[in-house]
Amino acid sequence: MGNDWKAAWQPLMDAVGQDFSEGRVVNGADVVTAATIRRYLEPLEFDCPLHYDADVAKEFGYDDVIAPNTSIQTFSLPPMWAPGQTIFENVDRNAQPATTAIAGFKSPLEPPTTGFFATDYEAEYLLPVTVGDRLYRHGAKLVNCLPKETKVGRGAFLTWEMEIRNQRNEVVARTRSTWLRYNPHEAAL
Amino acid sequence: MINQSTPHIKVRYWEDVKEGDELRTLEFPITVYRLVMAAGANRDFNAIHHNSEYAKASGAPEMYANNLFLQGMWERCVRDYIGLAGRIRKLSGFRMKIFNTVGDTVTVKARVTRKWLDGEEGCVEFGIQSENSKGVTVGPGCIVATVPRLKPS
Repeated sequence: MGNDWKAAWQPLMDAVGQDFSEGRVVNGADVVTAATIRRYLEPLEFDCPLHYDADVAKEFGYDDVIAPNTSIQTFSLPPMWAPGQTIFENVDRNAQPATTAIAGFKSPLEPPTTGFFATDYEAEYLLPVTVGDRLYRHGAKLVNCLPKETKVGRGAFLTWEMEIRNQRNEVVARTRSTWLRYNPHEAAL
Repeated sequence: MINQSTPHIKVRYWEDVKEGDELRTLEFPITVYRLVMAAGANRDFNAIHHNSEYAKASGAPEMYANNLFLQGMWERCVRDYIGLAGRIRKLSGFRMKIFNTVGDTVTVKARVTRKWLDGEEGCVEFGIQSENSKGVTVGPGCIVATVPRLKPS
C-alpha cells in the first residue's frame, strides 16, 4: 500500500487555486430571526443585549438585534432536509443521514472518506448581520490540500475560501475554513 | 463555580485599553446536555459532537465540542471586554489542537496584545486561547476589534 492513500489526493492537490463553486451559491436555510439568535446564545450563556434587545442594538447604531459574528456560518448553512428528500434511510443506531449540510464544501476530486471535522477557521467581518437578513455562501476556492496521517486516521487537510453575503449581495464576511477529511484507523472501528 | 454572569460593559474606550490587559477568564463545563444544545443552536449535527460511540469510532477519545461552539466562546470573552460599542473585525489562528471532550471544562483566556489607531478608529488586538485539563486545545489565536475613542482628534 505504501503511500497510495496520499496519491489518491493528488488530483485535489493539483487543483489548489481553483474555485469549485462554478458560480453557484449556497443559500442559508432561513432568514435570521431573534429566535434563532437567542438559541445560538443559550449553550454559550452569551449575555450580550446587542443579540437579544432591539432597543439596545438601536442605541448602538444597528437597525435591529444583531447576530453574533461567529454565528454567520450557522446562518449561511443550507437546510438539513428539503421537501421530497428522504435522508433517514437506515435504522442502525449510529446511522448518519444520507446527505448532510454540515460537511463543508466537497469536491468531486476528493477520494472517499468517512470522517470529517473542522480544524481551522479565519474570518474577516465586514458588516453586521441583523434580524431579517438572509445569508448565502459565495465561492469555494481551494487554497490548500495537505495529505496527512494523524491520530484519528489518514486523510487530508483541505482549506477553502468563501464569502458570506446578505440578501442585498453585500459581503458580510470573508472566511477561510480548514477541514480534515479522513478514514479512521481500523483500531478505532 | 465562578459566577459567569456578564457585567454588561456598555462602552470601553480605546484610551482605557492597556496592552497586557487580561480579559476575564471564562469557563465552559462541557456536558452531554450542553453539547446537544450547541448542536441544535449552531446546526452542527456531526455525530462526533453528541454521540460517544460514533465519536470513538471516528478516532476521537469521546464526543467533543464543535468548532462553532468554540468560536462562540472566544466571541463572548472578547465581547465582555470591548462592550456594546465595540465591533469584532477579524478572527484568526483558530486552530483546534486537542479535542474539547465531554466531561472536561473549556477555559478561555485572552489578553490585549496590541492597540493602535487606524485613522480615527481605535483598534485592539487580543491573543486568545482555549484550554482544558490536557492543555491548550484551540489557538493561540487572535481577534481584532475596534472600540470608540474618548476624544477623537
